[in-house]
Amino acid sequence: MMIDRRFVKHFDWGLLGLTFLIVFLGLLTLYSAVTSSTAGPQKILYFKQLVWYCIGLAAMIFSLFINYKLLDRWAPVIYAMCMFLLLYVLLFGKYVAGAQRWIMMGPVSIQPSELAKIAVIIILARYYSKHANIGGLNLRELFTPFLLAIIPFILIVKQPDLGTGMIVLLIAGSMTVFVKIERRSLLCIITSCTITVPLVWFFLKGYQKRRILTFLDPDRDPLGAGYHVIQSKIAIGSGMISGKGFLKGTQNALAFLPEQHTDFIFSVLAEEWGFLGAFILLCLFLIFIIWGLNIAYRCREPFGTIIAVGVTAMIFWQVFINIAMTMGLMPIVGVTLPFISYGGSSVITTMICVGLLLNISMRRFLAE
Amino acid sequence: MKQIKLRVIIIGAFFTFFFIIIGVKAMYLQVFRGSWLSQKAANQYEVSFKSSGKRGTIFDRNLREMAVSIDVTSIAAHPSQIEHPKSAARLLSKALKIDRKVLAKKLNSKKKFVWIKRKVTPKEAEAVKKLNMEGLDFILEHKRFFPNKTLAAQLIGFTDIDDHGSEGIEYNYDDDLSGEVFQYTVLRDAHGRGFEAEKMTGLSSSGKNLVLTIDSTIQYIAEKTLGETVKKFSAKSGMVIVMVPKTGAILAMAHVPLFNPNALKRSHRKYWRNRIITDPFEPGSTMKIFSAAAAIESGSSSPSSIFFCENGAYKMGKHVIHDTHEHGWLSLQQIIKYSSNIGAIKFSAVTGSEYLSRTFQNFGFGSKTGIDCPGETAGNLPPFRRWTKVDAGTISFGQGVSVSALQLIVATSAVANKGILMKPYVVQAITDHNGRLIKSFGPRRIRRVISEKTAGMLSRIMQTVITEGGTGVNAALEGYSACGKTGTAQKIDENGRYSYDKYVSSFIGFAPVENPKIAVLVVVDEPVKQHYGSIVAAPAFKAIAQKTLDYMHIAPKRKTDKVMVSLRR
Repeated sequence: MMIDRRFVKHFDWGLLGLTFLIVFLGLLTLYSAVTSSTAGPQKILYFKQLVWYCIGLAAMIFSLFINYKLLDRWAPVIYAMCMFLLLYVLLFGKYVAGAQRWIMMGPVSIQPSELAKIAVIIILARYYSKHANIGGLNLRELFTPFLLAIIPFILIVKQPDLGTGMIVLLIAGSMTVFVKIERRSLLCIITSCTITVPLVWFFLKGYQKRRILTFLDPDRDPLGAGYHVIQSKIAIGSGMISGKGFLKGTQNALAFLPEQHTDFIFSVLAEEWGFLGAFILLCLFLIFIIWGLNIAYRCREPFGTIIAVGVTAMIFWQVFINIAMTMGLMPIVGVTLPFISYGGSSVITTMICVGLLLNISMRRFLAE
Repeated sequence: MKQIKLRVIIIGAFFTFFFIIIGVKAMYLQVFRGSWLSQKAANQYEVSFKSSGKRGTIFDRNLREMAVSIDVTSIAAHPSQIEHPKSAARLLSKALKIDRKVLAKKLNSKKKFVWIKRKVTPKEAEAVKKLNMEGLDFILEHKRFFPNKTLAAQLIGFTDIDDHGSEGIEYNYDDDLSGEVFQYTVLRDAHGRGFEAEKMTGLSSSGKNLVLTIDSTIQYIAEKTLGETVKKFSAKSGMVIVMVPKTGAILAMAHVPLFNPNALKRSHRKYWRNRIITDPFEPGSTMKIFSAAAAIESGSSSPSSIFFCENGAYKMGKHVIHDTHEHGWLSLQQIIKYSSNIGAIKFSAVTGSEYLSRTFQNFGFGSKTGIDCPGETAGNLPPFRRWTKVDAGTISFGQGVSVSALQLIVATSAVANKGILMKPYVVQAITDHNGRLIKSFGPRRIRRVISEKTAGMLSRIMQTVITEGGTGVNAALEGYSACGKTGTAQKIDENGRYSYDKYVSSFIGFAPVENPKIAVLVVVDEPVKQHYGSIVAAPAFKAIAQKTLDYMHIAPKRKTDKVMVSLRR
């Protein structure tokens, strides 16, 4: 592959630096989450995460060098592969904590649902870049993207992993709204949604219903379903303005915090670094998101713009849902905090997303 | 394209708005609710424990250990960490010999911490350690141990399971003896496991030591002799006090029956009291010493003043007072020597109730001596204004008044101490754990009760008691001169009348006469075979005083002394 001098000139060092900054914060928090605890996860997870970031970095560089426009052509293949993996995981996957989310590949296990998010972004970007129009999409045009999104959603929810399934829908929804829906169709969708949402209740699993009920009233069952969110709020709140200090979080160290290295890692950060730490992290994420949207803004052709919007939407929704749930603003759903939470597939997916953004950013001149 | 750019901006605004929401929520939780949630967090992870340092040692006057604290293990459990409560209860009940159901209940409880068994034997601790069970805690505690077992047990007292004194000296000096209690906070994780957050170091946490005035050898002599006496006369119980008249220091406080404070459960709690201090009784004739003191001090009589003793029966109103022997005219000195009740009534009538009552009060009757032991009784000395003529009569020979054994010996010591009443005490020093003196207690004079001259006369009268013909002849010592007085008091039975078969026999005295080193009181409760103080208590006095003076290396006088005494009479 020939490296164009213009790539170096247009390379988005700012985004890369921002990414590294957030990753650094994430590793710091993870270190605390896995080491200061006496009863929680093992220290080995920290080193594993470092290895995942190395792989993630490789994946980022890889997705950076392939011209993203090639993805337009390859989108159906990527999508099909991901759907195959999702199907495979449903049939032969490894059970972890009551859910089939993992495919074992030698020493590593991967979560195809994470990769499916990217596949959906790419396939929808391909579709919308061809079909978007000034007046907006009508219902007939929306049918294909609906199918493209609902298939992975159903497969993921079946695992069951409602959180990731919802993220897929939210990404798809954000992208669809972004490319504009015809007014009449929009009304139609809204009305049908209002009718179907209550019906969804009957399809939820027992624990999922419990989570929603506990969200509405955490004190309903403080030692059971409400325990996680109560403990998380205590941890965050007890950090107060300036925090308890690095490695000094009591709720983290004494194992009161559940899942402190994955879903509730924000609580660890907020406990140890206080509101200042939490605020800084939120600002960094917001800058990252605006940066991503800026890439979409400056990209001169629809496919890149829509991918950038999709990728940014993915980061946004995960950050928002994860943090909102740790503070009791949303029901507990298994959504990881990008860059911060422990998890190989999550790290790789996030880094691929960064790679895609950098890719679009440095190739913006090519559209001319 | 332009439209798309606008939409990017709209979506950006939308995302920013959502971020503001979580930012505000974070601020609410951390800034506004922060302190409340911090407290909630602290409640979860902080458990405070109290730990006390080792309790101080109690020594006798020769620094022999009378009560020590030893390290023992207590076994506790964290029920949440015990995997199989049922089998754990079975194994533990076997190793510790406690009821399995009680254990199972404890192990199944929702508490974070339960005691399984406190202060176990090393063998039990070893057995439980071998089980290698998770969720158990071995906690170092201190157990009180009394190396001399029964010796002075009623005086020293004992401690409860939490190492606090609950009787005797242990109770009275609990604040000094107790190790410093320090509270430390332990961090607890969600599973109830504890982590020591801060270990207090450099604190001198052990308690202070006490040095008693008690001499364990004299105590042993007293207990042994008393035990033999009680056994010999099939008595219910007995008490002996040995005191230094000049200082008020108590050398021995013996009670029979004995009890072993190391195995409290095996003895009845009624034997735990220091009855010498807590129990009032009617003293009987020993009280005549103080009636005579009043008579002489008032100037109304002299030792040679004579009184008609009505040949053994004296009618006072409806009552008839008897003497054990029929006497005609007796001098005051002889009244004491032969212990005539009628004589005592006669000379006290001359003294007058008010003066008699005031003298008794000055000797300390009717009020607490202020000894450093708990539960002291003041006895009962009715105010003289309420005395009837009969009361005034009987009180003069020790009926109708109740005193503690301690009051009796303290008052007698005042006679021995040239008329000066001393405050009795059992603790002479408090030392720190290195043996350095912190505080010392010496003799404390309360007041002069009678003149030195009166005291001297009384001593001589009391000396005649143990000479040929006197009631206390059985108390005569070999090689030492001695003073004494017998006492035989009828006990009041359940109906409130004086019993004809229940007596308190006593003997009180001091020796040597010229320079009294010890005062000894022997009280025997309800002797069966004999009841006269002269027969029951006097020999015990002799044995105790003799051995004690020998032990104290008091030089005996020449044999001729005894003859000279009788000559002087």
